[in-house]
Order: sequence, then structure tokens, then C-alpha cells
Amino acid sequence: MDEKATDKNAMEANEDVEEHGAEVYDASSIQILEGLEAVRKRPGMYIGDTVDGTGLHQLVFEVVDNSIDEALAGHCDTVLVTIHSDNSISVIDNGRGIPVSVKMNDKHEPKRSAAEMALTELHAGGKFNQNNYKVSGGLHGVGVSCVNALSKWLRLRVRRDGKVHALEFRHGFVQDRQIEMRDGVEVSPMKIVGESSTRGTEVHFLPDVEIFTLVDFHYDVIAKRLRELSFLNNGVNITLIDERQNKEENFAFVGGIKGFVDFINQGKKVLHTNVFHAVGNEVCVNGVNVSVEVAMQWNEGYSESVLCFTNNISQRDGGTHLTGLRAAMTRVINKYIEENELAKKAKVEITGEDMREGLACVVSVKMPEPKFSNQTKDKLVSSEARAPVEEIVSRLLTDWLLENPVDAKMVCSKIVESACAREAARKVRDLTRRKSVLNSMSMSGKLADCQEKDAALCEIYIVEGDSAGGSAKQGRDRKFQAILPLRGKILNVEKARYDKLLGSESILTLITALGTGIGSEEFNVDKLRYHRIIIMTDADVDGAHIRTLLLTFFYRQMPALVERGHIYIAQPPLYKVKYGRSEQYLKDDFELDTYLLKVALDGAQVHPGGGRPDISGEELADLASQYLAATTVIRRLSNWMDVEALRAIADGLTLDLDSLEGAEQSALAMARVVRQAEVHAEFDMRSERHVLRISRQHHGNRKSSVITPDFLYGADYATLARAGMTFRNLIAAEGSVSRGEGERRKESRVAGFPAAMTWLMAQAENAVGRQRYKGLGEMNPEQLWETTMDPAIRRLLKVQIDDAIEADHVFTMLMGDEVAPRRNFIESNALLAANIDV
Amino acid sequence: MSESNQQVPKKPRSVSCPTCGKPVVWEPASSWRPFCSERCKLIDIGAWASEAYRVAGPELDPGEGSEDVPPL
Repeated sequence: MDEKATDKNAMEANEDVEEHGAEVYDASSIQILEGLEAVRKRPGMYIGDTVDGTGLHQLVFEVVDNSIDEALAGHCDTVLVTIHSDNSISVIDNGRGIPVSVKMNDKHEPKRSAAEMALTELHAGGKFNQNNYKVSGGLHGVGVSCVNALSKWLRLRVRRDGKVHALEFRHGFVQDRQIEMRDGVEVSPMKIVGESSTRGTEVHFLPDVEIFTLVDFHYDVIAKRLRELSFLNNGVNITLIDERQNKEENFAFVGGIKGFVDFINQGKKVLHTNVFHAVGNEVCVNGVNVSVEVAMQWNEGYSESVLCFTNNISQRDGGTHLTGLRAAMTRVINKYIEENELAKKAKVEITGEDMREGLACVVSVKMPEPKFSNQTKDKLVSSEARAPVEEIVSRLLTDWLLENPVDAKMVCSKIVESACAREAARKVRDLTRRKSVLNSMSMSGKLADCQEKDAALCEIYIVEGDSAGGSAKQGRDRKFQAILPLRGKILNVEKARYDKLLGSESILTLITALGTGIGSEEFNVDKLRYHRIIIMTDADVDGAHIRTLLLTFFYRQMPALVERGHIYIAQPPLYKVKYGRSEQYLKDDFELDTYLLKVALDGAQVHPGGGRPDISGEELADLASQYLAATTVIRRLSNWMDVEALRAIADGLTLDLDSLEGAEQSALAMARVVRQAEVHAEFDMRSERHVLRISRQHHGNRKSSVITPDFLYGADYATLARAGMTFRNLIAAEGSVSRGEGERRKESRVAGFPAAMTWLMAQAENAVGRQRYKGLGEMNPEQLWETTMDPAIRRLLKVQIDDAIEADHVFTMLMGDEVAPRRNFIESNALLAANIDV
Repeated sequence: MSESNQQVPKKPRSVSCPTCGKPVVWEPASSWRPFCSERCKLIDIGAWASEAYRVAGPELDPGEGSEDVPPL
């Protein structure tokens, strides 16, 4: 109720009293606000706010409710509501019609018709007696008489018993009263204005502008309520006509509240097709008959729309019917999830709250004399409502889950997902709460910050391990380079395996150092404190794992950093080499091979013999690079293929697996050149093709590998075979190779070009001093600076989205639930993982 | 990975939501990329926060030496 309006009305009332009081102070001056006069004095108390439109629209609903009550009693199935062009409203139904006969026990003189009494007396009507209307939503009988009181005019027409009866009112007072004498008593019957073969009540009224600030009906407000009533009272055909905008809508919905749920889910993606629908008619509790109707369907959204109704009136705050529904749902669904072990994997506790996300639900109970917690009926308190709702939902929801396993699975997995999200949110809250603690304690001992304040100029090195972190801290340029040592956490899992992960402490430290925050609400890329985030890890499998974890984390939770190109990978050298007086750092094995080859070819000559000219310089370099390509292939494949077999191919052995004969001959040829191994041609049942299996003993274990036809058609085989072709007859029997000049000249007889290369490479190996860095920690601060951190020399790889996607893919494989494929992946990609060339 | 800034690909790429696997187009309109929804992103951050993401190390083979044990 609007306070202002109430005050105003109260003031008017007071003024009235005082005005009278000033003249004569007697009984007549004590004005008792009675009947409709009281309604006009304080309309807010009866109909709601007269300023904001709620009261105005309530007028329509009060009248419509009467028709609906008639429908609930089974006497009416059509209601027509019209907003006329003058903002008057008419409501016509085909019910029994308000009784028209004169009430001979009326104390009023003249004795009035029942209809007139219903429209002029508060608390008059048929609804106090459960026999006439078993259930009723009407407002304690004040309904239509309030409408009458607050209308400038109201015309009532009742079609009943073949006649049309009429009454007209102004401000609630009957007009042109017709007086008759009946049995010596003065009576005032309704006027007969015509004949009709139909029956029903028609109320046409114009709200009084003296009461309502603005008389302007909103189509949508009325339509919403009429639609609701259509759903709640299946079978009643309600039509709304708006003459002002020539608009008409028929709310003849079928399907009752099931249709209501469909309507709520309109435009949303539903999670499952079958709507749960439970009906329980007239369940008797403590002598009270309660009818229950519940419909539910989940959509893919997260918000809950549960509408509760008691006798067609909506309860915003639920009440006993909702409590019954929730209790039943929680119990039944939890039991189902448990029995079907649907939450076992997720390891979460399901609460009732998790079941509400995306739930569209309508609960409607109909019962006599419902009790509400307040006047506005926002909450049902009648205890009789709970048990029937709970019982019906329990029983029918259990059946529904069993009968609709597909729907049940969809619903339950959404619920489990909700539980996971709730749990996740809690964990994130825990994490960020700890963050503030961390902030206050400062990051001492963890982050070595830089002096520069302009983020665009700042770099942060995320360094794996403490010792490397120490070197980096000493070696850096503290003006603009910050160092954050990060340790991958290692867990001993059931003493059978060590798992690696980014500890939550590490993640926290990282987020705090970067300054961006985390999570959808807090993350802000503009707060990034360093525009270069450089991941610096060892060049081994452990380092690759840490790098994969970090990249995956950035990609998933801070993709903006990747998109804006803030993430880099440092390229620490794997080798330091010394040849003569020159020293050099080399990034990886490929660079080392290239370097060694360069040294090997330094002053090298191949003497093929047989009268062929010596090979040296560029010609030799070309052959050598072919040789190197082949050895690179062999090295790469060595993880899962037999190295000697691969070498045999590079030495000119050709294989054929297209036929059984070819496979057997290839096996024999291969067996002749590989040592200490068995070679067999096999027929692979799965691929239905011939393969070569090479098995050998290795440290007591039997190692076995296969060569497949696919391999023979691949690029790697082509490289090996091409090298084989080139080198096969390059050198005659008396051929040799030499390197160096003068005193240092060395020469060796060789059987073929690969042997010549092997000899040259061995010479280079001897000539080159080489140090392999097993980890960053082996480098001293100066070395780390000059190889990896000095912007003038270092090489950084900028991580692109595609690289991050790849890291996520690797991560996903490493994380896989299935142990066997994961193990295979790790083994076959061990080298890939070590050198993920992101 | 490349050291030069490559041209941004013309066609928006599609990735799988790391949590639920639904396809997600990598574009500004997908606010939760690479996730399909805030929900899926939240579940992921929850997993990081609770140290649920672990990379399995090599399995310890009692027959072999201790060379596979990562340094602690």
C-alpha cells in the first residue's frame, strides 16, 4: 500500500470529522466508516496502490476471479475480458449468473436482490460457506463490491432463467432503483431488460478517476494474469480484447500447468523433452481436501523459475507447498543419483540447491480456506498443503525417473555439474581469500621484483626450481627483469607413480605477481604488471611438463595474455661447445649436430677410389646434409622403432610389405644386417597387412618394434631410402676419408659413405669440447644472462593461440583418465614433450 | 610458434571447451573462451585451485633402478 495515498485518505477522513465537529458535536458527527464508504475512503487497504497501477489492475482481477471461481465449481468454461476504448472493462462469463432473486431476509429497506447485495456489501457472497465454492481465490468476499465502490459507474447484467437482469451503480450506489411491493414488503428487484437463451454474468465498469491517479490499463499486465489463470485452470477458455488497439488474444491453453512450464521454457533450450507432470486430486489431510498439480522441466540456463499458486493466487515466497516439493525432490533425486552412481566420479555432495539451476516448475494447490502469512498472500502457511505435495511428487517423480532414463540422466548430470560448480566456486573463494593474506605478507622470498614501474617495459621470468631461480636472480638486469621461481609440486601416488602439478600456492603466487587477479569478475588484463611473461624451464621432460601446465593455465584462465602476445618461452641452451678457441652455446641436439657437422667438414675430403674424383667442399656438404637428415630421422624414430633397422634402410636396404612374399624377403634381408635381433614377417590381423617385427633382448627385457606398410609410404622412409640410394655405391672398395692438413692430417679407409661420415663425426666429437646443461641450475648467473636473458642476444619464442591450444591438447592427453592411453602417449611423445616446440 | 608476428588467421578457429567439450568459436563474442560458459570456466579454475590437475609421471618399475624417479 502506498503510504502517501493512505495518509491522504486518512487526512481527508480526519478533515471530515473535524469539519463536522466544528459545527455540532453529536452522534451524527462520529462517522463510522462503513461498507463501501470505507472502501472509497481508504481504497489502498482493499485493492492495493491507487497510484502505481496495481490497484487499478486488481479491479479487473477481482472480477475475473469471480468467473474463475465459477469455473472451479464446474459451471463456467468461457470468460471474455474487454478493455474498452474509454478504459472501462467488461468481464463476461457463461457461469450460472449471480443469483438475482430478492433476499427476503435482507435487513435493508427495501429488500434487495442477492446480486445487489453482492455488489454493495463487503463480506457478502457465497464464499464463506465451503459448500457453494469448495475452493476460492477471491479476496474474502470484498472483491466485486470493492470494484463497485471504486468505479465511476458499474453495469451488471445477469443472464439467468431465460431473462437478462440488470443493475447500474455510480460510485457504488445503485441507480434508478425499482421498487415493488411483495407480500406487503417493499422490495427492489433487478430490472429485466430482455430475454436470453444463454446464461452468465457480465460486469462492465469504469474505474473512478477520483480514486485512481491514472486510469490506463496495461494490456500486458492483464494478459499475463489471464494467461496464468488459463494454465492454472485447464479447460477455461479466456479471451482478452483490447478495443483501444484492436488486439485480441485467446488464452485457451491446453495442458494445464504442464503448458505453463512449456511457456516458461519458451525461447530457452530445454535439457530434456519430457515434462514431469504430477496431478493429485482431492487428497484428504486432516479432513481437508487438497488438490495438487506440479510440473517441472529443466532448461540449460542457470536461473530457477518456480511459481507457486494456491487457489490461483501466486505466492512469491513459496510456503508449505514449496517446502513439500523441495523435500520430495531432494530426497528422490539424491536417491536416484546415488543408486546410479552418477556423482561418484565427480566426488561431490549434492544439495537441494544444485537441483534448482535451470529448473522451470509450477506448483499449484487448491484447497479450502488456505492460510497465508500476510495480507498479500506471498507465503502459504497452511500445514495441510505440505504432505500431499510431498507425497505425490515423491511417488510420481520416482516413477518418472525410472520411466524416462534419458531425461533422468540429463537432469542428473546437470545437477552434478551444478554441484561441481558450487564446489569450484568455493575453492576459488578459498584461494582468493588466501591471496589477500599473501598480499599483506608481501611476496618476499618468492618474487624478486624489478625497479621499473612501467609495465610495458617490465619482464617476469617464471623459472622452474629454486637453484635456477637463484642464478636468474643474480644474473638478471634488475632494472626491468623480475624473477619468480616456481616449483612443480610432486606427489607420490600410492608409491607407484609420481604425479606433477602446479600447487595452489604456486598458482596463487603467480596470480599475485602478475597482478591481474583471477576469475570472471576479478580478472583484468590491464592490471598486468609485466608485458613479457617468460617461461624458463629445463629442457627435459619435467621442464616440458611444467611448461605445459603453465601454458594450459594461461590459455584457459587468462587467454587475454596469450591473445595480446604477453607470453614467451625462453630458449636456454642445451650445450656449450668449444672448438679451438671459439666457444658457443647451442639450443638443442639439432644445433649440436649442425655444429658438429660443420666441424667435421672442416678440412675434410672423401677419396672414393676407383678413379673417381675426391669429394670435398660444397659437394661434400650437400651429401653430408642428406646424411644428417637421415640421422635426424633415425634419432626421432628411435623411441619406438629399432635403430639398427632404420640404419639398415639408410644404408640402402629396401623393404616391401605389399605382399607376403615381399614381406618374407624383406625379413630375411633385414635379419642379415641387424645384429642380435630376430626379424619376422607378420600378418597384422587388425590392419590386415604385412608388418615386420624386430625383437631384441635389452637388459633382460624383450623389446619389440614393428615396421608397417604405412611407414614405408611415409616421408621418413623416403628420406632414409633416398640417403640409401645416394650412398650405396658412392665409395669403392679402396675408398678412404681424410681430415685436416699437414701434421694434423688423419686418414682412414672406409667401406661406404655413412662410415666416412661416422669417422668424420667421431673426429669432430674428439675435437669439440662439449658441456651439456642438464638444467638451468648448472649455468652460473653470467652464463644464464648471456645465453637466455640478455635482450641483445637471447631468443624468445612468442606463444601464439595455436601453440596454447596445442599445449592444452598435450595437457588433456597427459591428464586423461585412462592410464594406458596416457602412458602410451607419454612414451611415444616423450621426445615431443621434451621439445614441445611451442 | 614463430618469432615474427604472424598474420592473424582469417577464419575464426574453433576449439573444444576444456570442461565439457562443446565447440567454442575463438572470437570476442565467446566471452568465456576457450570455455563455452562461465560455469565451465569456473569448474576449471576450481580444479586448478584444488590441485586436481596432475600430470602423471613415469610409473615406477620395481625391476628397474631408481633412475626414473624425479628428484624431489
